[in-house]
Amino acid sequence: MKKIKVALAGQPNCGKSTIFNLVSGIEQHIANYPGVTVDKKVGFFKYDDYKIEIVDLPGTYSFSSYSLEERVAKEFILDDTPDIIVNVVDASNIKRNLYLTFQLLEIGIPVIVVFNMMDVAKRRSIEIDINKISSMLGTQVIEASGSKGIGSQSIMKGILDAYKNREQYEEFKINYEELEIHIKNIESTINPKSIVLNKRWLSIKALESDQTIIEHLKTDKKDIEEKILKEETEFYEKNDKDTISFLAKMRYESADVIYHESVKEKEKDKLTITDKADKIVLNKYLAIPILIGLMFLIYEISIVWGYKLTDYTWPILAGFKNIVIDILPKAQFTDVPMITELVIWIVNSGNALINYIPIFFILFALIAILEDIGYMPRMAFVLDRIFKRFGLHGQSTLPLVLGGAMVGGCAVPGVMATKGIADERARMATILTVPYMNCLAKVPFYTLLLGAFFKFEMTLMMFYISTITLFVAFIVAKILTSTVLKTRETAPFVMELPPYHLPTIKGIIIRASQRVWVYMKKVVTIVLAVAIVLFAMLQFPGLSDEKTAYYENQSINALNKFDKKAMSIKYYEEIDSSTEVFALLNYYDEYKSKRMNTSSKEGALSVDKKYLEQNKVFYKFIKPKKDKEARKVNKLIRKLSKDRKRILRNIKNDKVENSLLGMAGRGMEPITKYAGFDWKINVAFLSSFAARESAVATLGSLYENNKSDSIRAEKAMELNSGYTSLHATAIIIFMLLTPPCIATMIVVKIQTGKYRWMMFAIFFPVTLGIVMSSLVFSIGLLNDWSGVEAMTYYYISIVSLALILGLYPNKNTNWRGGFNGSSYIKNK
Amino acid sequence: MRSQLDTIEVGQNVRIIKLHTRGKLMHKLLDMGFVPGSEIKVIRVAPLNDPMELKIHNYHISLRKSEANLIEVEKYEKN
Repeated sequence: MKKIKVALAGQPNCGKSTIFNLVSGIEQHIANYPGVTVDKKVGFFKYDDYKIEIVDLPGTYSFSSYSLEERVAKEFILDDTPDIIVNVVDASNIKRNLYLTFQLLEIGIPVIVVFNMMDVAKRRSIEIDINKISSMLGTQVIEASGSKGIGSQSIMKGILDAYKNREQYEEFKINYEELEIHIKNIESTINPKSIVLNKRWLSIKALESDQTIIEHLKTDKKDIEEKILKEETEFYEKNDKDTISFLAKMRYESADVIYHESVKEKEKDKLTITDKADKIVLNKYLAIPILIGLMFLIYEISIVWGYKLTDYTWPILAGFKNIVIDILPKAQFTDVPMITELVIWIVNSGNALINYIPIFFILFALIAILEDIGYMPRMAFVLDRIFKRFGLHGQSTLPLVLGGAMVGGCAVPGVMATKGIADERARMATILTVPYMNCLAKVPFYTLLLGAFFKFEMTLMMFYISTITLFVAFIVAKILTSTVLKTRETAPFVMELPPYHLPTIKGIIIRASQRVWVYMKKVVTIVLAVAIVLFAMLQFPGLSDEKTAYYENQSINALNKFDKKAMSIKYYEEIDSSTEVFALLNYYDEYKSKRMNTSSKEGALSVDKKYLEQNKVFYKFIKPKKDKEARKVNKLIRKLSKDRKRILRNIKNDKVENSLLGMAGRGMEPITKYAGFDWKINVAFLSSFAARESAVATLGSLYENNKSDSIRAEKAMELNSGYTSLHATAIIIFMLLTPPCIATMIVVKIQTGKYRWMMFAIFFPVTLGIVMSSLVFSIGLLNDWSGVEAMTYYYISIVSLALILGLYPNKNTNWRGGFNGSSYIKNK
Repeated sequence: MRSQLDTIEVGQNVRIIKLHTRGKLMHKLLDMGFVPGSEIKVIRVAPLNDPMELKIHNYHISLRKSEANLIEVEKYEKN
């Protein structure tokens, strides 16, 4: 089967991805272009005898080298030389779209032009003479309406026709008049042998000072740069125009000519639906309330409802865990095989993350909808003024909201949503501040602390916790953009406000699933690897010999007690060997956990049935009914199960205390004591690095009262920790700034492309956290503040600092305008 | 009458005379259609008074006032 390689190009908002989904079917790959974080989507489809590979180039307004996307797109054309270029054009916005079309036509590779959104054009009474445009451009023009599913057959056929006739293809040329002679001059100096691409195109690009192309030409001819400069200067002296503006002007004028010859807009000045909608959405007084409302809605649907959805998905994951436990080697009373412990640990860590997938799916789908509708740039438009003050960008809003700017969220989708921010410095600053937002998994931790130490001031404390993060983020962003990120490129805020569009369900689902898949692949695998390392650090070096002997003794005692009491029961011969007792104990525990996991009556019955079939005698003991003797066994086994749990928990605590992680926690005490943290808190923070959920579990088990099972973690902490509310405030302040979870750090690495920034994203917040909590704790101790007082003073200081910093405008260093870099009116 | 784009009131039509800028910003503006002679209508300013929304070549674009300041325009009345 023959292969055709197709590049799909078009301006942003032209509906390129709908066209891509329309033709490429389900076989899609998503990857990165080499060395950069720009997504590369590749789709495949078969037509006639051909296998067609279609590569979705990033959407760009132009085809020069000024933005990362443009550079990537051009490098693809240079290095991979596709057979055909398909150019998608927004039929309702022809003039600007043709600007790119001309640049694509110049390349010399056969181009097919697809006029997309013909339905929108018709609705706006725009009449387009397709045949005329086609003959003027000298290439095929195909009509399509991607969102309505119209046009895929003609596009496929068009690709094939263009491929078969590629030998006869002759590219369209704009007559650049005065510049033509200079183009010819450059053309004649380009080495004809080694260049496969069109020389005219290369010459035009060279005259546009396109660095990618110039570098490309330099490999053959070292002095090409001087030659180009000479031609540019000559042109400037003769015409008093620089080549770049001249080329842009010529292209717009040519677009204007084609537009006037072939397009009739009957209702040009009539308000479109978008204009009418924007009168409300961007209204001076309504815009901000609408934006807040929308944010609240997204938060409500994805986080709150999604969280409820996990009530249904969690039993599935728990069921999976039970299946795994069934396969694993069984415990011999308190002697649990290492492999069993390890696998359960891994499954627990994995489940904790997979549990969030419903939330992520909803979140990603909602983002995709907002993106497709066209609300994102409007959000940036409304809020840019505030964000600009802190070195961020209007487009930082969504990442921060997803990260949890309102009560809670997750930094992983938040950081992933920073991709679209055009301003490099603001994008970096956003990536590095999103992790300061309130992660959902921190909420149980706050609840634990608030429940233990702030029973009467809970609401006020929760208000502080949920609102302080945004101010902290502003401060951090301001500090970063005026220090380490100071020299980063900033981009001018020149942003299109595209017409509103109805999204397609297929497009939304594809995008949401692709993003969830990326999350699964990149995050889950690495988190599992870290979980294993953490497991090892919690296991080794393990218990001392004395302790081991001590716990062995306890186990034997418990078993002996059981045996002594069981002797008088008539079923004694069923439970007189240790093998039988262990089997019964495991049988009992497994049955209990399976019954806990089933809520329906039928489910419970089927579990009962399964266990009855498995072992009739044991079943009698766990469900003794009226059999008095069996009831005695039931009572004993229940007691034994409790004893086992207690011993296991004590072993675990001793192991943690003795483990590498425990030692690290102790090792950190000299520093952390200024913040009031003891080693237990340190261990909890360290273990929460894998997933924040584990902080609560670790603390819970460390403070649990050993005598009783029923006491709640809050109560246990209040009674057994010896902390005051000031301690709790210090812990909360530290937790608000840290710890960065490993999943977030992975996406920080993915989005910044550098391990350096990942390390920065780990150590900067940790340092900040320890400094802040130490300050508050020490000053609080001196002044005898309560926890709430300390938190209030902290809150007031942070908010004031943010407001003060906001008064100083950020400087943009990489682009300037006006005469001598200042406003031109002053120089007039 | 010549003035800077950021001083133009909402609803006014103007024509571009010159871009007083260099480098990246100029390229970006040229690519988006801010070539001398093009017509612009000021649609609105953002609720916090910056940036501004413009209509050029029949599409909508937003520009911060600091950048609009660098675009020299002249007013004209649409007939």
